[in-house]
Amino acid sequence: MLMPIKLKGVMQAPVSPMRDDFSFDGEGFAKMVDFHVRHGAPAIAWPHHKAESLNLTIAERKLGAEIAVKTVAKRVPVSIFVGTLSEEDSLDLARHAQKVGADAILTISPYCRRPAQEEIFDSIVRIGTTVELPVLTYNSPWRNGEGVEFTGELTRRLIERLPNYVGMKDASFHSQKYLEISRVALNMRPGFAIIMGVEHLLASYPLGACGSFSSSGAIAPNLCNKFFAALEAHDWETARECQFKISELWRLFKEQYPSSLKGAMIMMGRPVGPTRSPLPTAGKERLEFLRKRLEELDILQTEPHGW
Amino acid sequence: MKPFDPGLVHAPVTPFKRDQSVDYPTYAKIIEFHLRNGAEALALPMPEGEDMSLRDGELRELFEFAIKQVKGRVPVLAHVSDAGTSLAVNRAVHAEKTGAAAIISHPPYFWHPRPAMVVEHIARIGAAVKVPFYVCSPPVESAGTELTSDMVMQLIERVPNLVGVVDASLDFVFMEEVISGGRRLRPGFQLLAGRDYLVSAAALGGNGAIVPLAGIAPKALRRVYDLCRQQKFTEARGMQEDIAHLHHLVREAGISGLKDGLAGIKCAMALMGRECGMPRPPVRPIGEVERGRFEEAVQALPFLKAEPRGW
Repeated sequence: MLMPIKLKGVMQAPVSPMRDDFSFDGEGFAKMVDFHVRHGAPAIAWPHHKAESLNLTIAERKLGAEIAVKTVAKRVPVSIFVGTLSEEDSLDLARHAQKVGADAILTISPYCRRPAQEEIFDSIVRIGTTVELPVLTYNSPWRNGEGVEFTGELTRRLIERLPNYVGMKDASFHSQKYLEISRVALNMRPGFAIIMGVEHLLASYPLGACGSFSSSGAIAPNLCNKFFAALEAHDWETARECQFKISELWRLFKEQYPSSLKGAMIMMGRPVGPTRSPLPTAGKERLEFLRKRLEELDILQTEPHGW
Repeated sequence: MKPFDPGLVHAPVTPFKRDQSVDYPTYAKIIEFHLRNGAEALALPMPEGEDMSLRDGELRELFEFAIKQVKGRVPVLAHVSDAGTSLAVNRAVHAEKTGAAAIISHPPYFWHPRPAMVVEHIARIGAAVKVPFYVCSPPVESAGTELTSDMVMQLIERVPNLVGVVDASLDFVFMEEVISGGRRLRPGFQLLAGRDYLVSAAALGGNGAIVPLAGIAPKALRRVYDLCRQQKFTEARGMQEDIAHLHHLVREAGISGLKDGLAGIKCAMALMGRECGMPRPPVRPIGEVERGRFEEAVQALPFLKAEPRGW
């Protein structure tokens, strides 16, 4: 029996805290998850790229999924990302997510293979029929036709094939690509959740996007919540102010994502440790630069410090 | 003085005769159609007007013809892009002398120079004219270098008459950065939505729009544009989805590797009772069988029933 799931607003995707020896810090992670729920996250989604998903072992990903579900304790929905390099791992993670009580899975066909549309279709059907959980897919087109792209036609076929297919994380950030998916999906399956990969929401909310998986929420949860409230109230002026500020934050953090973000979190009193190689850990100079910019943007002064 | 604000800008196609010469009597009809159907300005020849397929002399002649035909009823913006800087500069100067209300130009065709050289290329075109100048993202990635928001910021610093960007990238991040960053450097800096996708650009605070599908569906585009002007973005969603559907059919028609939609636009124009001939080679018109399928799909779009037929 498919449980209905309500996904709306700026949903938080916690980082993965590490100890100084780069081991996964489960206790820190529980604090991170709880922080987000207490600061208004309408859903928790883990482990996205921001959580160094592909640098975690499968055992660590399972452990984190269990901690997330237990810590959230049904206060909001929990979605577990099961995308990996190898589809066998994705199937394993999907079954595990269902077993431990997650509310949804987010998946993508294995990256780095430039899969054809037919291959993506088969992959999502295999994963989506392995579980009874609601399934979200992750549209991640890169430039020049690389990446894993869900066209409108592929989305249509998947909606037809999978009754538990309930939404798309869209990282195209592109009017044409977005509308290819939304005009098909929203009309075929009302309530289909289109969730932006980063909160580029002002461009997409009027066209039916229901929210975003947050990039900047780890630093600025208040700003995220204010932004979404403005969108819902059709207060476009306030929404624009918030969007432009978030856009600046994204510019700060997208370089070597999520190293700078983790560095800035430590500055906000939430020690989440280093970032695993091959990604760098933000150094002193970078941190000083971030501190200055966050102060100029009024983030240090208006957002929560500590856990 | 009131700043130049072109509003809803139609981008006409360029009709050709069977011998490949420009079909001026039909071009006159196209221009009149746009002026009767809501164009507040014209931009020509945009990529959908096959600028790349026209020779230098033809581009000049076409622009002179359009200015004479319009007779000052609306502003006419000249799109001047080329591979070589001096080619574009000379044509921009000609367009200004002929009566262009503004010049639009994008990074050079074909070459992939370093960002500094792209900025230099565009800055020289802008500096050669006094009328308002817009920089445009290239219509497709493979036609030239990408226009980045950093380039736009550098251009604002260098080119005093740069009033805005015509966005054909459709990229949310680019739009956010250009509108917020651009207005910090130059208050009132404009973003005109390109390629018939108006809602996202307008929600972010964009100004007008350049709409190539206006030859097919001028009423729907006018409706979306008006709703956007009234800040009714969510109300504009349904109509924007309809236009996106038409855009999809047009782009997917034909065999163009660029999916430039040139064959599709002209085929749909003919279907609406406005025969504009075929695109210029090497772009192939849609083949018989596909044409039938395309026409069926276009005719099945309910919103087109409200659009004008014939000239």
